[in-house]
Formats: sequence, structure tokens, C-alpha cells
Amino acid sequence: MSNNISSNKTDIFDKEYCESLNSLYNDNAELTEIRWFFNKTYDWAYETENLSPDVVLLGTAIPEEMVIAAGAKPHWIIGGSLGSVAWSDDLVPRDTDPVSRSIAGYINRPEGADFSDSLFIIPLINDSMRKIAYDLKSEGHKVCLIDVPPDSKDKYAAEKYAGQLTSMCEAVSEKTKARISRSSVVSAMKTVSAARSVMHRFLEITRGHTDIITDAARMFVQNSYYMSPSIDEWIFHVESLIREIENRIGQSKNKKTEHPAVMLLGSPVFFPNYKIPFLVSKCGLEISEAVDYLSMKSFITYNKKTLWGSRDRLIRNIASTWLRYDSSPAYVKNDAMYDYVSWFVQNHKIEGVVYHVLKGQIEYDFELERFEAMLSKQGVPVFRLETDYQYQDVEQLRIRMETFSEMLTQRRYREVKKAS
Amino acid sequence: MTMINKAESLKQRQDRRFINKETQTAAKYLRRMKELPGAPEGMEPFYRTLERIYVNMDHIEKAPGQKTVGTYCVMTPPELIYAAGAVPVKLCSGNYTAFSVGDSVAPRDACPLVKAVAGFKQTGLMPIYEDCSMMVIPITCDCKKKIAGMLSEQCDVMTMHIPASREDDDIDEYVRQLYQLMERLENVTGNRITYETLAEGFRKVGYAQYELSEFIRLKKQMPYLIRGSHAMAILNSSSYMPADVWGKALHNVNVSLKKSISEKKAVTSKKLPRILLTGSPIVFPNVKIPLLIEEMGGIVAGDETCMGERGLWDPAVITDDSFDGMIRALANRSLRPCPCPTFADNSQRIYRIKQLIKENQIQGVIYHVLRGCLVYDFEYRRIENELGQMGIPVIRLESDYNEEDIEQLRIRIEAFIELIKLRQVPEKATAVRKSF
Repeated sequence: MSNNISSNKTDIFDKEYCESLNSLYNDNAELTEIRWFFNKTYDWAYETENLSPDVVLLGTAIPEEMVIAAGAKPHWIIGGSLGSVAWSDDLVPRDTDPVSRSIAGYINRPEGADFSDSLFIIPLINDSMRKIAYDLKSEGHKVCLIDVPPDSKDKYAAEKYAGQLTSMCEAVSEKTKARISRSSVVSAMKTVSAARSVMHRFLEITRGHTDIITDAARMFVQNSYYMSPSIDEWIFHVESLIREIENRIGQSKNKKTEHPAVMLLGSPVFFPNYKIPFLVSKCGLEISEAVDYLSMKSFITYNKKTLWGSRDRLIRNIASTWLRYDSSPAYVKNDAMYDYVSWFVQNHKIEGVVYHVLKGQIEYDFELERFEAMLSKQGVPVFRLETDYQYQDVEQLRIRMETFSEMLTQRRYREVKKAS
Repeated sequence: MTMINKAESLKQRQDRRFINKETQTAAKYLRRMKELPGAPEGMEPFYRTLERIYVNMDHIEKAPGQKTVGTYCVMTPPELIYAAGAVPVKLCSGNYTAFSVGDSVAPRDACPLVKAVAGFKQTGLMPIYEDCSMMVIPITCDCKKKIAGMLSEQCDVMTMHIPASREDDDIDEYVRQLYQLMERLENVTGNRITYETLAEGFRKVGYAQYELSEFIRLKKQMPYLIRGSHAMAILNSSSYMPADVWGKALHNVNVSLKKSISEKKAVTSKKLPRILLTGSPIVFPNVKIPLLIEEMGGIVAGDETCMGERGLWDPAVITDDSFDGMIRALANRSLRPCPCPTFADNSQRIYRIKQLIKENQIQGVIYHVLRGCLVYDFEYRRIENELGQMGIPVIRLESDYNEEDIEQLRIRIEAFIELIKLRQVPEKATAVRKSF
């Protein structure tokens, strides 16, 4: 009986994973370079038999440069799967957000990777992470906590955060037996900077070209960073993909699509649960920018000035840069995201905002009021969409999304009419 | 002009309705507490305080010109606030009417306590909130974190970063935050915190804690000298009374309890099932759960909630009597013994619960979870396992700040109490204890 249940849950995982990959493949079949990302993502999910990672990062709100500097290859678990949510059914309370549930599920995946000797690095950005850390520690896992200061503007916040990062480095270094030197930190900072810069360039170049690469595929390439076997290899393939897309843009007669451009804001969307980006596209909207703490990471790069100084100075630089740009829900006020949205809406033609809230991610719901006030001043309508990883609500969401899409199209007509 | 008048009258009507509903609910629960038999002598100051704050919607009693500083959670040391010449007032709320107002301000899934706070601040009608010159908000959960952001747009707010663990480095870091708090308090009150004023703050709080430890010692007596609901009225009122005044009032209750021992006078001659209440805080007037337990024939013999015994229980231990030593003592007291689920590793809560079970001869545990209070919900599974191994029955009661679930809660509590009674040895279940 329990075997049946377990296999049933595995079926859900397989079905969602393969359907999302198939949809992405079918919608972007002409892009040859994107296939590498599909393959690596598939491998990440299914080639777990002999996998026993040294260092596991839960979520994306950790400066991976510090882990790399300490000689480890980070293995990320970022959630995003309905199937893995099912694996954590009995482990977490009912009201836990799907991302945390999915993360807990991946760790306890039947026949999954062996995490018995792994060091778990957990950023305490919300209550669920805090308590998952407690559970893992009680089960005998090695755990390293990153206690992000909630007030990023506090004069001691950078110092506190640098202290946290140093402790994390030491924990990883103990695991890998590698010494953290100034040069290893600089090298790691350069590597991740290169990755984030190339990601930023990819997002800029592909914006508005849904005829060449779909919005969901843009998000997927971004997500694939956390599933690729090597950052350098990932950078190489993103660059190849950029070149291919640039060629196609040059050949394309129809330069830009004509769908209403929206911003997807709020809870981050992780692969394979892509129902929201798929739905947005199907309802005739174009995601001009997905703003969440995943995409905002592409701004955390280091210039020559920040690469100067002693090892401890470099760690302090990393801490202060992260506190400035990190837009995870760890903060009392998510000013990084707020400022970016405000700037983006002013400088790009955004016609509407889809505010995505995953059930249980209360921080985003609290922030909504502030965003609504700012966006209403700029005349941009906001559409709040609450969901979880289940697919039962897709039709209901579709009806609402279509209405929003129609409303944005009508606004366009009205504006054209006014102008004429 | 007419439109403005209409708008004003609408606001006035809304305010009147809010005040009516808020005061009626508070008065009802206060009456139910008073009607519960077996209250000791000396309860009047506590009832009066709760009545003053929630029924009369009045300001807290303080010297003219003295500032009040709002606090949330038990991690803000009141000693520092007294040292700055201000009065601390705990703003965690259990009010149903404010909760329904807050429902439209805070997100749907926010916990009711935070919604009630948002509701009170939204209406601007509750003097204890409006009087605050400053609010100190320790970031203990996601809702507190975000409500701090909301409140900072309306008043002077200082957030405190509660570390995830209680290692020496964390204590050092907290000491630094206490110095920052000290600076902010000095700016707000205009008074300097000196060695003498801090020592006076320690004396005030220490006296209240001494009386509380005496009260808890007496509360453990068998047969029972006081009901848990009455104890909760006493402990809840500590949020709105200066520590020395509250300590004096508690001293009178302690005297009356000691008198009850000498007169062999107990709350009841029956052997009632002894329940431990743990989980999300019970804040007046949301006292429906302790009242239901005691109205259904149980007794709340132990209370592990932060608005209950845990709130003032742990004294600051000064091992170095310098100024810095005293600040360090406050940091240690605020973090080390605290079994709040905000800490990533909270195994000491399990020890604390086991200790309370042993000391109070607990027969069953009611685990209270306020809807949306995820940190407590996460710890339930572990505590259920631990208590299961000890053979102590436990139920999880999820509730909200409304009265719609009262009948459902009543049935579950009644069944739980029946279950405990059935587990008692028959002769013991009916035996009357004659002496202390």
C-alpha cells in the first residue's frame, strides 16, 4: 500500500517534470542551444542514484560565491515541484508554503540523492526555513544557518551579515578541507559575476521576442543555473544561446510581439511548476520582466573596486552588496525590489502587473499594498493571483487572467482612440 | 460641504460601532472570568486594569508626562524602558473586533494577533497604541517582520533582530542591539540611562518576578488554590501595569493564597483533570480556550505560553555588577532560557514542557495554534511524539479571533477532558484530597 502511495507521488513528480520540459521543448523547438539546458535539468532530477553532494544550499538566497570560495560545488534545492510537495506531506504543517514543502520533499525523496553526509546551508529568510533547519538538525544532519539581518538599513547589518558569511565559509571549508584564501574568494566572485552578467544580458536581449524564445523558456534558462553541473559550462551555453537568438533577431522581420507587456512580480516561479508563465502566455500576455529574488540576483555583480582588499574586506564587500540588492523576503521592507520595480515601470512600457502569491508566502502579501500604491500612482493596474503548486485551479486562474488580458487590450484601444 | 459632513458622520458611526463591539466583547470575557468560581482575594486590581484598557478604552496608569513604549514579545527587556523613565506596554492583542478591522488591512493568512494589532492601529481608537512614543518589535516571525514595516510608516519603530541560535556570539550581538535600543530610548524620553536608573529598573522588574515565582509556587499546590483562567487574568494584566504596581497587587494575591492553605480552602474539592496549555499566546480578551477548559471541568494547571507564565518567569542573573554586566544579563535572560519557536533549534522547549508536566502533575496537553502561526505549528509534530512516548495525551486546537468556532472547540475540549478522566484510576478519580 505504502509502495503504491510512494509510486503515485513519484508519478506526479515525473508527469509534471516531463510535461513542463515537453512544453518548453515544443514551444522553442527551433532553438538548438536550449537543448543543453533541457538535458542538464533532466539529469539533475533523475540522475540521483549515486549522488551524494558535500554542500547543499536550500533556496537561492545564499551568496554561492562564498561556498565556491571555500572549495565546494554547491548543490541547490530550490523547490518548484508538485511531486516533491507530496513527499513532504507528513513532515510539515498544512499551511507551509509550497516552495518550502517542495524543498523538504526533495530532501526526503524516495530513492533520491544521499544527503546523509551533506552539509546543509540554510538561509533563514522565513519561518518555514527556520523550522526545516530545526528538523534537519534533529535528524542528525549537519546544518549551517545564515541568519539574514531583517533590517538591511541597520548600520551594523553588513557587519552582521559578513560575520554570518565568514562562519558559513568556515563550515564549508571544514567539510571540503580547502583553505579560503583571498585569491579563492576573488576567483569565486569573478565566476558568479560572469554568470550573473551573462544572465542579465540574456534577459535584456530576449525581452519582447516571444516569437523566438517564450517567456517560460527565458525563466527556465534562468532556473537552469541552479541545476547545471558547472557554472563555467552554463555560462558558455548561455552565451551560445544568446548568439543564436541574436542571429534570429537579425533575421526576423517581425521585430517585437504585440501582446500587452506585463511584469510578473512576487513569489518566485521555480521549474518545473510553470503553470503561471504558461498561463500568462496562453492568455495573450507577454512577461516583459519577472521580478523576484531569483531574477534580482542578476544585478549582484562585483566591479574592480569591490574585488580589492584583504579576504575579510572582500567578504564584507559581498555582504554589503547582497544587502543592497537582495530582494528575498528576509527583510522588514523589501526596498531592493520596490526600487527596482519603480525604476523599471518608469523606464519600460509596462501595461500591467501580475502579482503572484504562493499560498503561505505571507511576506509577499504584506508587500502588495505598498506595490499597489506605487503602481496606481503610475497608472499600472495590478492583478493579484494566489495559487499553490496544484493544477486544479488552472481553469479558474485562466478565466481571471483572460479578463485581465482583455482589460489591458481595451486600455490600449482607449489610448489609441484618445490619441486620434 | 454636505459630502464632507456625510463622510465624517460615516467615520464617526464606524468608530462608534467599533468601540461598542470591542468593549462588549472585552466586558463579556471579563465577566466570564469573574463568574468562574474560586477566584482568590485580591483579584480586583487585575480585573480593573483589563477593564480600564479594554472596556473603558482608557490610557494606562502612569505619572503625568511619562512616556510609554510599546513592546511585542518577551525579548524586549522592560528594565531598560523603566531605566529611561518610560513605561513599557505590551501591544500583542487578542481583540476580536480589532482583528476583523485588521482583516482588511493585513493579508488574509496573517495570524490573528498581528491582524488585531493592525486593526487597532488602523482605527486609531485604542489609547495604549496611540500613546506610544515608540514601538520595539523583535522580529520573531514573518508576520512580526512585516507588521514592523507597516507600523514604521505610522509611528517610531525599532526592530530587533532575534538570532536563530543562542550561542555566545549571538548574545554579544544582542548586547549591541540593547545598546542601540538604549540610545533610541534616551532620544525618545530625553532621559539618560545611568547605572542607578538601570539598577532601579532591575529592582522594579525583579520584585514583580519574585512575586510571580512565589505565585507559581503556590499555584502548583494540590488541592488547587487558583484556577488557570484567573492566573491568566493576572498575567495578562502585567502588560498594562507598571511592574512594581503589578508586583504589589500580586503580593496581595499570594498572601490570600497562603491564607487559603492555612484555612484549608481550595478552589474545589474535586480532582479535576490537570491540563497544560502550550503553543500560540493567549491574550485577553481571547481567553476562550482556558475558559472552555475550566468550564468543561478541567483545570489549566500549567501554562507555557509567552503571554502567560513564560513572559516574566526568567529573572536576569547579574554575575558582573558593572553597567555592561547588567546589559549582558538582560541579553542572556532575553535569549538563553527562551523557548520561543523563533529559534531554529528549540529543543529546550521540549525540556521545559516536560519539566512543567512533572512539576504540575499534568495529565493532558492542549496545543494551541492560532491560524497562521506557522512556527508553533511546525513544532507540534515533535512535541506530540515526545509526549506520546511519555503517555501524555495531547490535542492540537487551531483557532482564530472569533467566536464562531466556540462550539466546535467545546466539543473537542470536553471529549479530551473525558478521555483524561477515563484514564484516571477510578478510586483516584473520585477521591477527595483532604490536606495540602
